[in-house]
Amino acid sequence: MSLGLRKKLGFAIAALCLLLNTPSGGAAGSGVAASVPEDNLAVIVNQSNPIEDLSLKELKAVFLGERSHWPNGRRITLVMMDPGVPERKAVLRDVCHMSETEFSRHFLQGLFTGEVFVSPKTLSTPVGVRKFVFNVPGAIGYVKASDLDGTVKVIHINGRSVDDAEYPLRIEPRPAK
Amino acid sequence: MSDSAKLVRTESAGPLQTLWKRVSGMVSRHTSSLLMFMVLCVVVAVGAFMIGDLHTASVQVQKMYLGSVQGLRSIGELQYEAQETRRSTLYALTTNNSNLQVEYADQSREADKLVTDGITQYLVRARAAREVELGKRLQSDWAAYLKVRDEVLASILEGSTKEAVDLDLSGGVPSFERVRQDLEEIKRLYDEQASGQLALVDASSRRSVVRLMGVLSFTLLFASASVWAIQRTKMLNAVRLAKLQMDFVASVSHELRTPLAVICASAQNIADGVVDEKEQLAKYGSVIRHHSQQLTDLVNQILQFAATHEGRNRYTLRPVEVELVIAAVLRNTHELAEEAGFVVEQHIAAGLPHVMADFAAVCQCLQNLVVNALKYGGKNPRIAIWAASVHGDNGKLDEVCISVEDHGIGIDSTDLKQIFEPFYRSPVVTAAQIHGTGLGLPLAKGIAEAMGGKITVVSKLGTGSRFTLHLPVAHSIELQNQVEERVAQS
Repeated sequence: MSLGLRKKLGFAIAALCLLLNTPSGGAAGSGVAASVPEDNLAVIVNQSNPIEDLSLKELKAVFLGERSHWPNGRRITLVMMDPGVPERKAVLRDVCHMSETEFSRHFLQGLFTGEVFVSPKTLSTPVGVRKFVFNVPGAIGYVKASDLDGTVKVIHINGRSVDDAEYPLRIEPRPAK
Repeated sequence: MSDSAKLVRTESAGPLQTLWKRVSGMVSRHTSSLLMFMVLCVVVAVGAFMIGDLHTASVQVQKMYLGSVQGLRSIGELQYEAQETRRSTLYALTTNNSNLQVEYADQSREADKLVTDGITQYLVRARAAREVELGKRLQSDWAAYLKVRDEVLASILEGSTKEAVDLDLSGGVPSFERVRQDLEEIKRLYDEQASGQLALVDASSRRSVVRLMGVLSFTLLFASASVWAIQRTKMLNAVRLAKLQMDFVASVSHELRTPLAVICASAQNIADGVVDEKEQLAKYGSVIRHHSQQLTDLVNQILQFAATHEGRNRYTLRPVEVELVIAAVLRNTHELAEEAGFVVEQHIAAGLPHVMADFAAVCQCLQNLVVNALKYGGKNPRIAIWAASVHGDNGKLDEVCISVEDHGIGIDSTDLKQIFEPFYRSPVVTAAQIHGTGLGLPLAKGIAEAMGGKITVVSKLGTGSRFTLHLPVAHSIELQNQVEERVAQS
């Protein structure tokens, strides 16, 4: 199955789940997405993770593999979506401040030098990301606010919750003031 | 009415006694049918018992089958889903593709949810302490396995394959083995329960067979006894009837032979010229006529009994004056009484109502009673005829009783029940050389009953007897009809 087809299939399943209003598929069950802009990008961790809030700087360290463990001692597992997906683009743009190439190179170089211990896991669909985070206590990932459900925990960024108007992460960049 | 005051309905019975007599009469007449009915009842009861027993056994077998099959099926499903949970987890180890790993993790969680639900349902159904204990142990062991499974899945998804394998080997395998053993133990328990129920059904079946054999044996015995009793009763009746008929033939022969002998001897004397004087001839003629009359009476009595017994007699009931009946009977028996030297006393109440009867028949009936009184009057040559009306329970005139009382040999209480049976003659009278056919009383009884009346008797051996003829009173409308009839005739 080609990457594009898998991506399309993932979106189709997500849309169908949204339509059917199932707990595993849509954002309706989370009680968050209904009141937040769909454009916001939620950062999610496992329900057992005690972390509540991260600054953009801390988040960058996590996403670039510069931080290996959570405060509770669990190893951090980074979950990324496939290259080219808007969510991934938004993270690279707003958190890592890197292009796709730079991000790949960073991890290749980090693994080679030993500065980075584990490369990020790559998943095709937001549902897959959510399920991965649900299954792995130290996992951290991201999904659109509309793809949230109650199986994962959404953390604040810079003290802003995902439904906050000043929330810093969006799929599309904010228009320049 | 002083005489009538002496007459009380000593023989009249209450409604309950009457009912009892009727029932006992019916029972004695329909013994065979009753016995066959009882056999039928027993057979029906046995059938019902057998059906009930078979139904119980069937229900037990169904319960056993359902319990065992459902239990084993649910345990089979639990075993399959538990294996599926573990298999999906292990499949995740075989790939580096995170998407596939997530999919396998998802499958494992779906399977474990089914197992958890199955265990909960098992605990809900569990009744015996052993079942509950095993169910709780399985629940606990399954939870322990799931805890390890979650760690293994997390390690696999993190990419720590070695760590996942180590975890599975150290914790997953032993905990899953415990779950497997728990499931096997529950399966064994189901097998044991099924075996126990099978033993119960087997025991119940054996009990049913034994009971069935017992009941069938009892039914067979009962039926055999009934058939034997029926045949014996019929045989005894046939023997008794044959004996009575033989006695009757002997008695009739004797009754015929005596007058025939006298007639023959008288005729022979006349034919031989032994008698030639006119006076003697007249005497011989009188003897021949008397004995011929005796023979005629005897034959008439037999024919009349046969007619009464077969119901061929049709009596015309009309109001009859009791005094006329008594007078006619006394007139008919006057000569006989005079010959025997009997004195006949009459105690007839004044103003007796008419009775509904056939005049000739009622005369015949009463005459039989009077002749019997003369015949069995013994050494006290005195008989009495009483007639009085009797009031019923409602105070109305109900019937007229005509009693014939003698002070002769009387009747033994054991004979009282049989004296109205055809051809019966008491051994006492047979021994006393008192001739008779045994038809007089049955004939009188038949006539009385045909006219809506009856005959009762009170007797004591050696003291005498009193036979009472009860006749229904004619009512005013019947009397009026009679008057109208007479007017029309005139």
